[in-house]
Amino acid sequence: MWNLYLPVAGNSINILLLFGLGAGVGFLSGLFGVGGGFLMTPLLIMAGIPSTVAAASDSNQIVAASTSGTYAHYRMGNVDFKMGFLLLVGGVAGGTLGVQIIKVLRTLGNADFVIKITYVLMLGLVGSYMFLESLQNLWKKDVVEARRAEPRKPSTYARLIQALPWQMKFDKSGVTFSALVPLFLGTLVGILAAIMGVGGGFIMVPVMVYMLRMPMHVVVGTSLFQILFTCINVTVMQAISNHTVDLVLALILLVGSTLGAQVGAKLSKRLKADQLKILLASIVLLVMVQILASLILPPTLLLGYKGGH
Amino acid sequence: MALGMPMRKFARLSLWVAAALLTSTMPAWSAKIRVYPDLVQIGAFFQGTEVSLEGQMPPGCEAVVEVCGPEVNETLLRKGRRAGLWMTVGELEVQHAPNFYLVLSTPPRIPELNGQDTPWGFNALRSRLKIRGALADQEKDRFSSEFLKLKESEELYGSLPGTLRVGNSPEGQAVFQGGFRLPAKVPPGRYQVRLSVVKDGQILEQKTETIEVRMVGFPALLAALAYEHGALYGILAVAIAIATGFLMGFLFKGKAGH
Repeated sequence: MWNLYLPVAGNSINILLLFGLGAGVGFLSGLFGVGGGFLMTPLLIMAGIPSTVAAASDSNQIVAASTSGTYAHYRMGNVDFKMGFLLLVGGVAGGTLGVQIIKVLRTLGNADFVIKITYVLMLGLVGSYMFLESLQNLWKKDVVEARRAEPRKPSTYARLIQALPWQMKFDKSGVTFSALVPLFLGTLVGILAAIMGVGGGFIMVPVMVYMLRMPMHVVVGTSLFQILFTCINVTVMQAISNHTVDLVLALILLVGSTLGAQVGAKLSKRLKADQLKILLASIVLLVMVQILASLILPPTLLLGYKGGH
Repeated sequence: MALGMPMRKFARLSLWVAAALLTSTMPAWSAKIRVYPDLVQIGAFFQGTEVSLEGQMPPGCEAVVEVCGPEVNETLLRKGRRAGLWMTVGELEVQHAPNFYLVLSTPPRIPELNGQDTPWGFNALRSRLKIRGALADQEKDRFSSEFLKLKESEELYGSLPGTLRVGNSPEGQAVFQGGFRLPAKVPPGRYQVRLSVVKDGQILEQKTETIEVRMVGFPALLAALAYEHGALYGILAVAIAIATGFLMGFLFKGKAGH
């Protein structure tokens, strides 16, 4: 008897399949500091869950996975709470703004085009940049280490952020800059995440690495901390206004994903930062190719249900 | 009891005569349909169920059975090409679509009526649908077909000609048997099971039964909580998630420490 009925999704599904999905995505979550919604939701839809329920229940599941992951990383001293909090505040503001932008786009009638193109461009850009940069680092390890030793030339970007008010020292991340920077970047990611309908972990992680110059291990923990709160908000909102959170579905997923997140967090400690980045970049690029294929190949049916990502 | 042999013979004979008379002047109300089970309960382990049908009709007739759920309005997304890329290009509202529809029959093709519109089958269903929204008038046929295909791919609509098997009963009636599957996706509600007996392209008679699909036990409890106490349900869901996350963290910490 391996099938369980999901009362809100209105369908029955194999427990082992859900558990496996949860474990796999939770593992990636603990490893990279991403929520994994961009992977899980399409997989759930393929398994026969209505897209709106898949997205909402997945955010409930991410709450568990990111609690587990944040906790594991916190014990290893990998969470920069100050930075996470600022990014979170920006993210909430950006999310609110992004929802309004989507509403305007919908009335103009080309929302889906903007969403899909944003997706492909963001994933393609972030994925390729991260992939190439890490590959370069892995090849020329010595050169990079030598270069890191000498003081870095301040770029325009660096000079700009040094000139901003409210300079703050982030001990865990070992960086100092204006509080406005994480607030602004958080807002930006929040807008994109709301437009794309995802938690935004896979954009937040590269932003922290490349624009906030945080060390990779702290990035993962801090990103998870931020995702935790974003997903708590989404879960409660979805439960209240759309009734699309399926607790049974989320529970089975989260048992798998919390386990996976612990294993992922452990492994992230063992892998080198560039190896982590290359792996994440490959997954991001794979998702991008899949979305691109869905845009280019003709669909089997010209009608579809609303919701999802 | 104390009936003599000839007396008993006579009684049996008169019964046969009566039966023969009855069948020769077959009254119109003789068709029957039975559904088993007529109450389907969705419990925690529900994964769809088989429903069996059994009925009788005058010999030489054809039977059509429709299983039909309540009509609902649905909003769907229309896909199309923009700048060479496939994406959603607008919304369509489909009205008068039952949330579940099956048609079964005894002959290997769904019977059609002579000289009037056939009230069952996919063609009838298609002509009842009203589609509004982002489409031109001449596209309506195409999108009503797409709608049926979408529902068919989810096992919510189906056309199953020839799935009812005909046999003869001792009473001279034709009996038929068959069944269908209610998928796990079937929405709770009341479903009409309508038998139409067809002879020479005319409807002889119709009979209707119902199947009720109801959530019970844990799923019913959870669904009620989700729909009637959304905020509480959301907070509960988050609390469970956080507790599990921490619990898993503690368990792993213990293991790693030793």
